[in-house]
Amino acid sequence: MKFVLGRLLSIAAALGLCFAIDVFAHSQNDYTQRLVALAGLYVTLSVSLNLINGITGQFSIGHAAFYQVGAYCGGFLSVRFYDGSPVHGLLWLLVMMAAGAAAAAGAGLVVGLPSLRLRGDYLAIVTMGFGEIIRIIVQNVDAFGGPYGMNVQPKFLHIWLIWLLAVSCIAVCRNLVSSAHGLQFLAVREDEIAAGAMGVNVTRVKVTAFMLGSAFAGAAGALLAHFEGFITPATFAMDVSFIILTMVVLGGSGSITGSVISAAFLSYLPEYLRGLKGPEGGTLAVTGASVAAALFATIIAAGIIRRLLDQARGTPRSRALGVAGIVGATLIGKIVIQWGLLFIPYLRELKIEAGQLRMVIFAVTLIIVMLLRPQGMLAHHELSWAFIGKILGIKAPAKAVTPA
Amino acid sequence: MSLLEMRKGTIHFGGLVAVSEATFAIEKGDLFGLIGPNGAGKTTCFNMITGVYRPTSGSVYFKGKQITGTPPNRVAALGIARTFQNIRLFPALSVLENVVVGGFLRHRTGLASALIYLPSAIAETDRLRAEAMDLIRILDLEDVADVRSADLPYGKQRRLEIARAMATQPELLLLDEPAAGMNPQESEDLLRTVRRLRDDFGKTILLIEHDMRFVMNLCEKIFVLDHGEEIAFGPPEKIRNDPGVIQAYLGEAV
Repeated sequence: MKFVLGRLLSIAAALGLCFAIDVFAHSQNDYTQRLVALAGLYVTLSVSLNLINGITGQFSIGHAAFYQVGAYCGGFLSVRFYDGSPVHGLLWLLVMMAAGAAAAAGAGLVVGLPSLRLRGDYLAIVTMGFGEIIRIIVQNVDAFGGPYGMNVQPKFLHIWLIWLLAVSCIAVCRNLVSSAHGLQFLAVREDEIAAGAMGVNVTRVKVTAFMLGSAFAGAAGALLAHFEGFITPATFAMDVSFIILTMVVLGGSGSITGSVISAAFLSYLPEYLRGLKGPEGGTLAVTGASVAAALFATIIAAGIIRRLLDQARGTPRSRALGVAGIVGATLIGKIVIQWGLLFIPYLRELKIEAGQLRMVIFAVTLIIVMLLRPQGMLAHHELSWAFIGKILGIKAPAKAVTPA
Repeated sequence: MSLLEMRKGTIHFGGLVAVSEATFAIEKGDLFGLIGPNGAGKTTCFNMITGVYRPTSGSVYFKGKQITGTPPNRVAALGIARTFQNIRLFPALSVLENVVVGGFLRHRTGLASALIYLPSAIAETDRLRAEAMDLIRILDLEDVADVRSADLPYGKQRRLEIARAMATQPELLLLDEPAAGMNPQESEDLLRTVRRLRDDFGKTILLIEHDMRFVMNLCEKIFVLDHGEEIAFGPPEKIRNDPGVIQAYLGEAV
């Protein structure tokens, strides 16, 4: 019964974590609560997209569509049938999640089918088109409120449930890749023809990945609808798809922990930047010249560091010193460039509040990460104890493989 | 009944006739060589057998059953495994994982049990890993079992492809230029390994090879293709002295 005990312990730990997050969030103001909830939803979305993109290698960039299908399915059913339904409260919400997941999985099947014949860029275009089609259809259906959106009743503020979905999504993906089944998915990503020749049913693997990934996105959508109490087609515009995709790529395509970390990071960063303050606590305002100079200097520096890292010459220590030197040179370079730019009257006069720069800083952060580490933060690794040990130079005891 | 029979297998790519009415039969336990100059249609024959291409006309029989046009994954399940001329491993996966993919055909648990990680799924994964490890030992890849397959030297990648194909437990193993790019020592080792696969494991082997010494030393029957057509068939001694074969390889006598 070691298994049952271990499993119960992990479930208890997961629930404990989710309730801890819930308690923390509810002790904060509304704004922070919403942030914690959205971070949970984004974790689900990016981990489920990672299953399609990173693990199975099907380049899908329309993930917001599945999110939307789930949200509208759950929202619409609640509006129509909640009054007079025999189930209430949490149970109803779970039913809505299941409905959203099922509807999104159906949509996943529809998108998964063309993926059997399409690869790479071509598939990306189809998934993007699909995402737009869904959004535009919803926008034009009066029952869904058209472009004005839809009020969803009842509202639920179960942040723990949002995070429980995220944890389940992580668990399912992790279970998949650590079992022999998951190797099939990875094999399809690596080489479809070879996978087929080894007896892998490539069709089934691809469609399964699409359905499973979209089901999680759909469940997340249903939760969003009931958490916010209001959804519009604009909530699921193409930029949401791109942000989810960015999370997957930034974390390292194929790495589950990478997706989790970058989802949390990227959903927090723009909100953190919103509150940028000056040194005296007042609103920080900078000249256009300063901003432009900082942008130039940072991106050039990132490019130089990239070259330096590529050459892989010298000891790690000398390379670290080199990077530090470049960072110092960047600060000086920024001042020099800024001095030059101050001759341009427009840039001299233009005053920008730091808060307005948040999306610029967001974008620059992405550019820098991609320049310095194009394979993503964790690349294909997982942030496991063994991996941490490897970085620190501790060798984990090898898992014994006994002959059958 | 032959293990594999190709009956008038013909394949056209637009106006080009890649293989024309190739007819041969492979018996159980054969070491069968398929040779011919570049572009003769050897790999196309492999692709016809394994379902990558559907023959324009003609048919393929495996153990007396028609398998013409069966999709590759079903062909693999029936008991035909192959390697590729330009190695096609799963580069980011480790050696062990590559072989486990080949063994997956014999897994017995459903996807759902893997997703919730039931003990049965864990046990099944462990079983497949252990089986894969046995094959890795046979092909002498034990020391690199946990290395990413893309990081292996060329000769070992070729051996890994054979291990992965063996993991599907095929009756018929198709090897597409297994000795290509190997030095004499490596190809000598490979020769012994392939012979062992037949003698000790009872596999039937069909192989394409350009290294004549390799083919002549290993194969008992050789089928020669040129421009998609059969030009000779027989034991190595006969092929070695066949004027048609010599002409195909060396051109017209001066």
